[in-house]
Amino acid sequence: MAEPVSASAPLAFAGNRFGGGSALARTLATPGGRIGARFGLVAILLLTWQFAPAGRATQFWLSSPSLIAGTLWQWIADGTLWVHLGATLQVMSEGYVAGCAAGISIGILLGLFPRVHRVLSPFLTGFYALPKIALAPLFIILLGVGDASKIALVAITVFFLVLTNTIDGVRDVDRDIIQSLTLMGATRMEVIRKVLLWAALPWIFMGMRIAVRYAFTNTLLAELIGANRGLGFLIEYHSGNFDITGAYAAIVVLVLCSVLMTELLTRLETRVSRWRH
Amino acid sequence: MDRMTRAAAQAQRSAPAETKIRLVGAAKTFRVRGSELEALRPVDLEVGREEFVALVGPSGCGKSTILNLVAGLMAPSAGRVLYDGQEVTGPNRRVGYLTQKDTLLPWRATADNIRIALELKCRATPRAEASERVAEMMDLVGLKGFEHHYPAELSGGMRKRAALARTLIYEPETLLMDEPFGALDAQLKLLMLDQLQRLTQHRRMTVIFVTHDLGEAITLADRIVVISARPGRIRAIHDVRLERPRDVFKVRFTEGFARQHERLWDELKDDIAKGTDV
Repeated sequence: MAEPVSASAPLAFAGNRFGGGSALARTLATPGGRIGARFGLVAILLLTWQFAPAGRATQFWLSSPSLIAGTLWQWIADGTLWVHLGATLQVMSEGYVAGCAAGISIGILLGLFPRVHRVLSPFLTGFYALPKIALAPLFIILLGVGDASKIALVAITVFFLVLTNTIDGVRDVDRDIIQSLTLMGATRMEVIRKVLLWAALPWIFMGMRIAVRYAFTNTLLAELIGANRGLGFLIEYHSGNFDITGAYAAIVVLVLCSVLMTELLTRLETRVSRWRH
Repeated sequence: MDRMTRAAAQAQRSAPAETKIRLVGAAKTFRVRGSELEALRPVDLEVGREEFVALVGPSGCGKSTILNLVAGLMAPSAGRVLYDGQEVTGPNRRVGYLTQKDTLLPWRATADNIRIALELKCRATPRAEASERVAEMMDLVGLKGFEHHYPAELSGGMRKRAALARTLIYEPETLLMDEPFGALDAQLKLLMLDQLQRLTQHRRMTVIFVTHDLGEAITLADRIVVISARPGRIRAIHDVRLERPRDVFKVRFTEGFARQHERLWDELKDDIAKGTDV
């Protein structure tokens, strides 16, 4: 993080202090140094949090790392964690898969029939811009407070993200490649299978990657609005009971989940798109 | 018809000199931002079956337009384009078209790119046979060892050769080539010309070959069509009276070649200002 600071700093000595030749700056420039610095940062934060002198009232609102770790350990031991984590991941993944499947297939169709797409485009733009969480109460009325309403909310969120990207991807395909395959005698289906899908793949992946975050967020929001299990429910429940430690513990689980998902997706994408240079 | 008969006879082939491709007053104008751009003046041209015709002329003279018309990727603004006596109305699947820009699929490794025509339903080929033919082709165009490289990892000349292999592998009856060897160094170009001559003769292909390299045209072609600067029109048609098979490495030092080159150069020199490697 030293680079942006020194690049944007208007004062010359700031550049020297952050980007210059000091031993600290050189250490931060190596990957090992960077990771070490990150751990150091977290350690300082946790230690301050744990041992900073605080009154009883502050202790109640802020909890402490050891208490949070204790709660987490207890959740793992008695299975609470798996129940709620499982519930959240299930709703999220079911909605995500449904939204992706619909988004990709309809996106390809609309990409293939640009005239239909032009007719529908203002409606799609309208729905795309709409914050889907606003539909949550509606889904609860229509589908009940169970998983179905949450899955629907996640699916529709994911659908529009993936749809837009898929359409863009299909339109981005190199017309010359299609022509060359047509001359070789490829049928329409073969052109779709061997060219369009592949050309659109990086775009589809981009939509899917962005959609993971939205799917996760909206699952949690839906659980906060009304649920009896899930990570969102855990936060809501413990906050409701003024058990700040429990709320923090649930948030820690959330953060770990987000980081893990993003990392997995990035790796998958690099593997699949190896041909891009 | 007269020219064509001569060309066929001179090529000493047994096949009857029937017309394969015929352009009748075919012209093309493009609309570019409201104004009309005349790319090709009405052109009459006949290409016989198994004939090798080279189109030469300055850049932007409509050579590529002629290929696009024959491939059915463009409709003529006027006149007609006939293939086997039938009017070309859509993509012409009887031709293999090697465009100036290589259209390799960036997500497929080189070998898989070359294989693609054999995967299509219209000529589904057993895996083992396909692999064998791919290996043969890779060897032929000198890409052995680059089977698993993606197009982005190949040089411009290598991509051109991969595209050539991809077209040759399914042995189309007619080959349209738009400056296929422009990016190659002289040594490699000669090797490729040699292979191309062998293959097209052996497979009895009809070829229209666009180039601005006169040497290349004389080495390969039965006839050379000289096209003038834009708007393109046919300026002259030359028969190449060199016996086949030609030794591409030596033919350029023969007297016949030199004479041919001089005649063509006289024809072209007013038109060609730059942009040639003659």
